[in-house]
Amino acid sequence: MNDNFTPKITLFHCINTVPEIGGFSLTGQDNFELQTVKLACSSMVKDVFLLRAFEAGSDAVIVLVCPEGQCRYVEGNIRAKKRVAWVRNLLDEIGLGGRRLSLSNISAGNNVAASQIIQNVLKDLEDLGPNPAV
Amino acid sequence: MIVGEQKPILEIKEIIAPYKKILILGCGTCVKTCFAGGEDEVAVLASALRLACKKDGKEIEIEEFTVERQCEDEFIQESAPAISRNDGVLSLACGAGVQAIARRFAKSPVLPGVNTMFIGVLEKQGVFTEECSGCGNCRLDIFGGICPVTRCAKKLLNGPCGGSQNGKCEVNPETDCAWQMIIERLGILGQMDNLRIYVPPKNWQTSLSGGPRKLVREDHMI
Repeated sequence: MNDNFTPKITLFHCINTVPEIGGFSLTGQDNFELQTVKLACSSMVKDVFLLRAFEAGSDAVIVLVCPEGQCRYVEGNIRAKKRVAWVRNLLDEIGLGGRRLSLSNISAGNNVAASQIIQNVLKDLEDLGPNPAV
Repeated sequence: MIVGEQKPILEIKEIIAPYKKILILGCGTCVKTCFAGGEDEVAVLASALRLACKKDGKEIEIEEFTVERQCEDEFIQESAPAISRNDGVLSLACGAGVQAIARRFAKSPVLPGVNTMFIGVLEKQGVFTEECSGCGNCRLDIFGGICPVTRCAKKLLNGPCGGSQNGKCEVNPETDCAWQMIIERLGILGQMDNLRIYVPPKNWQTSLSGGPRKLVREDHMI
């Protein structure tokens, strides 16, 4: 990875799965910027929000949702999953790379899993490099 | 409603390539309902195009605007200032909307961003089906409200072909047999005698086959 590259990640998360970001640590990973967007339910993550995060300079966007079958609003996480899949295709089509956008199901308050997901994305960004549309 | 589908983004990118300032103009009626050209789709397309162009190092200004209906001059009027600020208009309306904009703004290039597909209904969330061919001579009264002109692959007007299986069309097993549905519905309505009515060969002059059609309502003209 380019030494001057400080990855920027935007993380959308349902408050029912991760009430507060910051309650977990990323050991040895301090050279990145994390912008978080709290949602009352992951179904509130609209296609355009994901794209605008990239327009605003994010190198990767993560959406954290509740496990399937455990959404408080029944199908919010399914809706989020479909939207993310749709936007991933769009990112592939325009050459930005759908891999920059990911969705993960994690159980409520599992900060260890959330940390791991961010670390995996940072690792992916080593291959993907900076957002080419910035 | 008129059902359409947004063109692939790469095709749209090619269509707008000659322009430096483009207005993406949405329509808040039919194409909004089928997720092709409402305010949300305008925002997504604008964002995706900005990203795509920036990635390619191409400078482009994209403005977004949505009117309630692009096929009516009264609503189109609202978009006049935005249209005058841009080199071209990418309309996300149906073909009628695109042409209405082109007619109203003769000096602005108007480009289509949607492929208009058919007159249909929302069958269930996310599924739209064609139910009307706009043939100009509706006989849904005798067909129990189910149109064989549109929904029967063979456009049969006097009963089923005999090729359907388990209520599905032999041309496409995923399609319900229109005549099976007509007969079931007539049974429910107690109108099975309708099947005795001979429907003569259709006069297609009232359809698009007779060239573009026009409806004139003298009583509404001033």
